[in-house]
Amino acid sequence: MLRKFSLLLAFVFALASVSLAQTAKKPGAASESTSGTIVLRGGKLLTITHGVIENGVLVMRNGKIASVGAAGSVTIPRDAKVIDVTGMTVYPGLIDSETHLGLTEISADQMTNDLVETSEEIMPHMHVYDAFHAETALIPVARINGITNAIVAPASQDTLPGQDSFIQLDGRSAEEMLMVRDIAMPLNFTGRQRRNQGQFQNYKFPSTRMGLAAQLRQTFLDAQDYDQKLAAYEKKKSSGGDDKDKDKDKDKEKGPGGPPKRDLKLEALLPYLHGQKPVVVAAEEPNDLLTAIELANEFHLKVVLNHLGHSASLLDKVAATHFPVIVGPIYEQPKEDERYDAVFKLPAEMAKRGIKIAFASYDAHNSRNLPYAAGYAVGFGLPHDEALKAITINPAQIWGVDDRLGSLDAGKEGNVVVANGDPLDVKTDVKHVFINGVEIPLVSRQTELRDQYWK
Amino acid sequence: MVRRSTLHWVMLVVFLLAALAVAQQPASNEPQQPPSFHNDVVIRGGTILTVTHGKIENGSIYIHNGKIAAVGKTVQAPSNATVIDATGKWVMPGIIDSHSHIALDEDVNEATSPITPHMMMKDAFDYNDKMIYRALAGGVTTSLLLHGSANMIGGQAVVIKHKYGLGRDDLLFPGAPQSIKFASGENPKRVYGQRNQLPSTRMGNFEVMRQSFVEAREYMREWDDYNAKVKKGDKDAKAPKRDLKLEALADILRGKLLVQIHCYRADEFLTEMALAKEFGYKIRAFHHALEAYKVADKIAANGVAIATWPDWWGFKYEGWDGIPWNAVISMHKGVRVALKSDSEDVTRRLNQEAGKIIHYGVPEEEALKMITLNPAWIIGVDDRVGSLDVGKDADISIWNSYPLSSAALVDEVLIDGDVYFDRSLPGLGLTHYKEGQ
Repeated sequence: MLRKFSLLLAFVFALASVSLAQTAKKPGAASESTSGTIVLRGGKLLTITHGVIENGVLVMRNGKIASVGAAGSVTIPRDAKVIDVTGMTVYPGLIDSETHLGLTEISADQMTNDLVETSEEIMPHMHVYDAFHAETALIPVARINGITNAIVAPASQDTLPGQDSFIQLDGRSAEEMLMVRDIAMPLNFTGRQRRNQGQFQNYKFPSTRMGLAAQLRQTFLDAQDYDQKLAAYEKKKSSGGDDKDKDKDKDKEKGPGGPPKRDLKLEALLPYLHGQKPVVVAAEEPNDLLTAIELANEFHLKVVLNHLGHSASLLDKVAATHFPVIVGPIYEQPKEDERYDAVFKLPAEMAKRGIKIAFASYDAHNSRNLPYAAGYAVGFGLPHDEALKAITINPAQIWGVDDRLGSLDAGKEGNVVVANGDPLDVKTDVKHVFINGVEIPLVSRQTELRDQYWK
Repeated sequence: MVRRSTLHWVMLVVFLLAALAVAQQPASNEPQQPPSFHNDVVIRGGTILTVTHGKIENGSIYIHNGKIAAVGKTVQAPSNATVIDATGKWVMPGIIDSHSHIALDEDVNEATSPITPHMMMKDAFDYNDKMIYRALAGGVTTSLLLHGSANMIGGQAVVIKHKYGLGRDDLLFPGAPQSIKFASGENPKRVYGQRNQLPSTRMGNFEVMRQSFVEAREYMREWDDYNAKVKKGDKDAKAPKRDLKLEALADILRGKLLVQIHCYRADEFLTEMALAKEFGYKIRAFHHALEAYKVADKIAANGVAIATWPDWWGFKYEGWDGIPWNAVISMHKGVRVALKSDSEDVTRRLNQEAGKIIHYGVPEEEALKMITLNPAWIIGVDDRVGSLDVGKDADISIWNSYPLSSAALVDEVLIDGDVYFDRSLPGLGLTHYKEGQ
């Protein structure tokens, strides 16, 4: 661990000296480019991974966090732009584990929505990056409240609606903002995927949970079969032999000797069948959760659980699986006979059992309110530091980006927020947001309207 | 002749029903009157947020007969008064939600005609709805249950107190004025436009309103003529036919109803206010009101309040220009602002909504008003509830920490001096509710 750290330090130092050399050539570039150095001095640093540092110093250089520590222990580079944040709280950019950012603009206008392809239930080959609208007015609204990264997920009307992308909430284009494409795949099993709308005679398969489960199972079996055929072909190909035959007889290439016909839908499932990427399994009721977990285990999927709003009775079982949970929305209504706080206290109940949790806004327009859900869960018993982790390091780990995000540690991306108080409290006002080490102007379509009319 | 015999029949039926009700009473499922707890109660030791006269640290409230009898650093109370120890806690008025559709089952919108002023929400009020309890557990003591926004002129609201566990009539706010719901913009034009009916445009929206007020005026004139004849002793005077719809519209024009208008866009606030002027009625509040900040001075000049969300926006075109500074800008331009829920979810945590508006620039004491006294004014019960003042109803919420924050929890809620919710109790935390009732 220590060795790793010192290696990292050495690396950071090397980087730092490179950029020092660079900035020496271009004086005055400090606050304009990602190679500029920014120092936040005097704030209370919520590092997430190594406690709270009162009166701390944080240095960002080359888009990354270069050093973090108590005042006096960190050298402030001479060329740095120093921002005095005395009295402020400094924390890593928040990560929203499910949003529709970039997939919607005006909810009621279908022309601005690219939320989900409902023509079929099994659509793993839908990639939200193909629809992601980088210039959406919604992203600046979210990021000026400290949300710097998010999962963009398709809506949940399909059992397999497509694949999620992980975004950075700043960048000049979709290319720059899409940090990880196809980072995970939702698998929804909440009953709402049933095609049982309208009159009975208009139902279509799958109109029941039996149908949903059978269809899913068949899909994964088909994908396994496809996988085996692919593997067999690859094996045959690498062992040589029939290459010459192929040249001789091109027509036979698609026959038994050739590769299986390319199937985008089944192909999309392979990384998930191989356990290379997480499947985000959404269930709410205990019976659905059990069915979904059994199905996921049957195919050895790498699982992240989602929702679980009414599965309090299964939490010990969930803990035993060691699956992490995206919990919520905690603002869902409890069951008719349940106490008013049955859902509000779920995050606390999960954390108590050692379940790794993350929060999501499940929203687009008000993704900015993510920290308040975590704060509300604190009211209902979730320890404050756990709540903070659940919107920073936990999601970073769950999505496999904790080497880059989720804490104030040297070497991570310069995604840093400065606010005038507790990040989880509704009264707190964000004062600075840095993404990739660059200060983001606190401007959105909404602030522009405010400034236009507030005279 | 015919009329008289009908009347006799009606009287007979009423009598029979009444007799039946009396006979049935012992077997009734209606809960008995709650134990009479509200004679003398003292809340001691908390930080009291009075709303109207600041904050009292380590203060006390004396409640007598369901009313606030004294508030201050120390209060005089009989020694046998029930004591609620609020040491280390925060005490504020019960929260008031001026825009809610809970406890109406599916009966929110009579969306079959754009003008339905004679729909009475009380007729759909489901007093057993658990949402009343869940809002209570979030500190809400009074709600305005409104008709939906499908119709330009919808139905008449019911005002409730969240005395969950009691019978229907116990939950009705006694003496609260009658409100009526209007709507405008996208909802009516969508609902009727999809049926290829009038209205399908904003022109159509306002025209059906004008038309109905013109008819109401005619109806009023017929009755005025009739009444004048009767007064003169004209025995042949023939009473016009009673029409519930026109009567309700006439009540609007006579100023008997508080007009609550669902409205988003700046131009529509102006049109609504012009229409009100044209037909001589007053608008109490614009609801949602996302673009109020654009014409806040005009809204203020007309004495109209707004009931808005802190930060909802973008769900439809007329919500596209919604900004979280709407409340603060409108407030600064003199508009009375309330924060409301219009949501089964948000009604449970309006304290958070008020906290949020602080971060968008509203001073704390004003934010507090936006979920207490200001919505009370919109409902027309600000002389009864909404602040901790002597003579007002003892509708009080007690919190474990500063209420306008993310993590504050309601410990106890009193209505008319009785405790209805107590978080420390097992089960639902209710004092007047029995399972399976």
